[in-house]
Amino acid sequence: MTTYNPTFALLLFLALIIVLYFLFRPNKGLYYLLRKTKKSNAKTIIEDILKLLYHNQASNNALNVNDLTNHLKYSNRLLIENVSKMIENKLLFMEGDALKLSELGNEYALQIIRAHRLWEKFLSEKTGFQKEEWHGRAEKKEHELSVDETNQLAALLGNPKFDPHGDPIPTSTGRVAFKKGHPLSELAVDTVGRIIHIEDEPEIIYKQILAEKIYLDSQIRIVEKDDSRIVFHSEGEKFVLAPIVAGNITVSILENKVLIQESTTRLSSLKTHETAKIIGLSKECRGENRRRLLDLGFVKGATVGVDLMNPLGDPTAFLIKGTAIALRNNQASKILIKKIEHGKTTT
Amino acid sequence: MEKQPHSACDTCSHFNADGLKKLGVQIADFDFVVALAGNPNTGKSTVFNALTGLRQHTGNWPGKTVTRAEGAFEYDKQKYKLIDLPGTYSLLSTSEDEEVARNFILFGKPTVTVIVVDASRLERNLNLALQILEITDNAVLCLNLMDEANRNQIEIDTRALSRDLGIPVVATSARHKEGIPELIQTISELANNKIQCTPRKIKNIPQNISKAVQELSASIEKEYPEISNSRWIALRLLEGDTQIVEALKTGTFI
Amino acid sequence: MQEKNVAHIIALSKELRWQIGDDFHDSLAESIYADASKIVEGSVTKGDQKSSFRIDSKIDKIVTSKIWGFPLMLFILGVVLWLTIIGANYPSGMLAQLLLDTCHPLLKEGASAIGLPWWLDGFLIDGVYLAVAWVIAVMLPPMAIFFPLFTLLEDFGYLPRVAFNMDHLFKKSGAHGKQALTMSMGFGCNAAGVVATRIIDSPRERLIAIITNNFSLCNGRWPTQILLATIFIGAVVPSTYSSLASLSAVIGIAVLGIFFMFFFSWALSRTVLKGEVSTFNLELPPYRPPVFWKTIYTSLIDRTLIVLWRAIIFAAPAGAVIWLISNIYIGDESIALWAIHSLDGFGFLLGLNGVVLLAYIVAIPANEIVIPTILMLTVMATGIPGGEGVGVMFELDSVTATADILKAGGWTLLTAVNVMLFSLLHNPCSTTIYTIYKETNSAKWTIVASVLPVVAGFVITFLVAQIWRILG
Ligand SMILES: Nc1nc2c(ncn2[C@@H]2O[C@H](COP(=O)(O)OP(=O)(O)OP(=O)(O)O)[C@@H](O)[C@H]2O)c(=O)[nH]1
Ligand SMILES: [Mg+2]
Repeated sequence: MTTYNPTFALLLFLALIIVLYFLFRPNKGLYYLLRKTKKSNAKTIIEDILKLLYHNQASNNALNVNDLTNHLKYSNRLLIENVSKMIENKLLFMEGDALKLSELGNEYALQIIRAHRLWEKFLSEKTGFQKEEWHGRAEKKEHELSVDETNQLAALLGNPKFDPHGDPIPTSTGRVAFKKGHPLSELAVDTVGRIIHIEDEPEIIYKQILAEKIYLDSQIRIVEKDDSRIVFHSEGEKFVLAPIVAGNITVSILENKVLIQESTTRLSSLKTHETAKIIGLSKECRGENRRRLLDLGFVKGATVGVDLMNPLGDPTAFLIKGTAIALRNNQASKILIKKIEHGKTTT
Repeated sequence: MEKQPHSACDTCSHFNADGLKKLGVQIADFDFVVALAGNPNTGKSTVFNALTGLRQHTGNWPGKTVTRAEGAFEYDKQKYKLIDLPGTYSLLSTSEDEEVARNFILFGKPTVTVIVVDASRLERNLNLALQILEITDNAVLCLNLMDEANRNQIEIDTRALSRDLGIPVVATSARHKEGIPELIQTISELANNKIQCTPRKIKNIPQNISKAVQELSASIEKEYPEISNSRWIALRLLEGDTQIVEALKTGTFI
Repeated sequence: MQEKNVAHIIALSKELRWQIGDDFHDSLAESIYADASKIVEGSVTKGDQKSSFRIDSKIDKIVTSKIWGFPLMLFILGVVLWLTIIGANYPSGMLAQLLLDTCHPLLKEGASAIGLPWWLDGFLIDGVYLAVAWVIAVMLPPMAIFFPLFTLLEDFGYLPRVAFNMDHLFKKSGAHGKQALTMSMGFGCNAAGVVATRIIDSPRERLIAIITNNFSLCNGRWPTQILLATIFIGAVVPSTYSSLASLSAVIGIAVLGIFFMFFFSWALSRTVLKGEVSTFNLELPPYRPPVFWKTIYTSLIDRTLIVLWRAIIFAAPAGAVIWLISNIYIGDESIALWAIHSLDGFGFLLGLNGVVLLAYIVAIPANEIVIPTILMLTVMATGIPGGEGVGVMFELDSVTATADILKAGGWTLLTAVNVMLFSLLHNPCSTTIYTIYKETNSAKWTIVASVLPVVAGFVITFLVAQIWRILG
């Protein structure tokens, strides 16, 4: 005990904390980086090349080896090494300068995409990870799932047709459903449509879309458009986006304007003393959450009113089928309603 | 319309007060198993206490009971084991908190299921009741909290309700011990097959689903001819309920 | 039963499911509700309901109002705690008088009269009996007051409103509003609080509530806090304020516990529990007047039985262990002394001492016996006169006598503050650990829940000790 000095002990402790922090902090910690580098082996590189080529082929974009280095974060040497390996294995062939996917390569790429999208679907339905994390996690998982595991996963999820962003999930035989749509940024004023896809890359733009609470499958109407911004209405709210952000949202145009439900709003916008009828739950309300809301009586046609506001603003208690049930605002915003005009209120 | 709560079964023999013995936790050699199911906070535990003389915790908030409790009573020389279950909103989900109740209703094979509902919130409660009726044939609807319903000026035609549901309906106020004799009488008649139930099955199911259910339940019945709730199992299989898949393999629900 | 061939049924179900599409569950739920509302149409008539609902909504307006909601909550919590702390003193004193001062000497006399060997007499009466008696005297009164009060609030329907009011705070730390309820249950008993987390239907939030329940200062720990606050903190202020100061110190510790609960909820939900499913809903039941006397009676009987049971199952063996380690010698030191000396260095670093650490190890089965164990070990380690014999658990009747012993054992204000902190931040008692295991069914989460608070305790007491010493 002769060497004890409180200041020294305290400093030692702080030093220890700092060391631990640098070792284990998420995503950047040394421990984490070590684990990550071990995983980027040949299989991952090959699969990433396949995916890149597949996506570019779909938009008729021919890529050469140099383009690969620009798009992928691997060294030139690694890429060239693996490309020649892939050509050897008949996954790729060269057409002049351009790299092309063979039949086999195409099939392989589809399997990876299937695994990726299924895993995103899994994350959205069965776990509580935030939306912005789905893509990154699926990017890793897609390399780990075998064909068998992918099929089991699909069965577990009930063979879904679309992933949570609205992208089609290739079937085990390689069929891909086709969705026709236009980027939101290209629509003219007064166009009415339905959001069918929200792109999750790049992450910065995706986070902006999420922050705006723009939901898949909701109906929209463009009200204003110029070079700097696009304004549209959806579910009773007004949204303003920069064109570059809007470009990452795909909309399918609704021709039949009779179907349009301009009066649809979100439950979160209901005020005290107002009542409404429930139109349905948004597609963004998923998994256990969705089932629970249905069990509680938030079904199509039910009458709902505000019972109690919260002293802190969130959650709000709604009166539904004779009972007061409190929901948080982010849940209420995924329940679509139509307000009942005054005089027709029911309890 | 009648204001007084009355037993759905007017023709049956009268309650025999001397025949009732609350047995508390002495559960050995029972003749029948009776389950208490229902939405949260409808008074299941209060009914349980009234029947067994035990002091199962009750409380005015949904989810007070979280584990199943057992007790017993004797009526007309027959012993009944009574199970108090946690409240559930529905049997359709796979959430963990509702697992105890869900499993017991489906796999516990109670002789009689008492569905305890809140008379003031009948619509919400019938959601669960209709699901239970898909699973079991021998059930009684215990229309509890009648005192509150009366205070809220809600009148319920128990006869019409009983006819619609195809099971006996008994109005009770468990906290004031009203209607409990009638409930016991009805349970005993159900257990001894003196009342025949023809429970209502869920209607209104969209065509494509009901067709799939039919096809699937037909193939289940082929494998298990003696099964009575193949329709429910078919519904659960379509949902992808892994527990049911397991049960189907081992045949636990027969 | 043999396995049937059901592969074709399952295959068929998958095929059909694919054909039906994604909205299967929605359609089913909708059609059942449609059925239900049709039945209700035919059998229910509603009169003018306004009058009866008006009372409910009036109460709700006040209870959840911006102005009154939170003050009312704090007021009720304050009253409940005050009644528990102050009210428990009298029955506690009486029970101690009866069980410790009257019965214990009688038993000792009886034992010597029938010529029991010293070790059996010591083991049974000084070890087992005293521990049980202590737990009963200390635990029973606060529990018997706290739980009936809590039950009354519960029967009235107030608790879900607390969850409703507080949810926003819990949401910010990634938890569920209902955790407010399991937390308050934890003030009574952590094991009960852990079981109560089943009302939280969202897996992630439920785990958070389980792991952080130990930060609710349970009934077994209140007496430690009160005693130390009275001796050491009450003494540093003028005597007119001393009871106020000690009461605020105790409440301060409880509030600190709430703060830690929020902090660790936040940290857990952002790290290890990130991927667990998270949902929310909260039903607000109608208000119901409680059946006053019946509720009091039932919950009183109930608690008494539980406490007695616990005293016998957990405190008795602990008492035996304490007696044994003080009376079994290795070389010329008893096991207890040896352990105290080896723990002293680490204890000093934390502003505690070896006695305290050993007491917490021995008292894992039941937090209630920490103080008597500390006293007994202190007397033994320092060799001052005052105890009742080696390995005999006791509590001195007068607070000053207790203070004298502790001060003789080298206690300072820092030691007292850190023991109070450590009493808040240490591993859950064995019952709670076992309950956590049963509830989570996972060794991993049980270990996290047990180790996390101790580590927090070590860190906090360490920091306090160093800073205290640097400044002082
Ligand atoms: N007025 C009135 N109150 C009742 C009656 N039956 C039960 N209660 C009260 O309703 C509340 C809920 O009763 P419980 O028996 O705990 O309900 P439960 O169905 O077991 O609830 P969970 O265990 O949460 O599913 C308690 O406060 C009871 O005192 C009744 O017939 N009339
Ligand atoms: Mg109950």
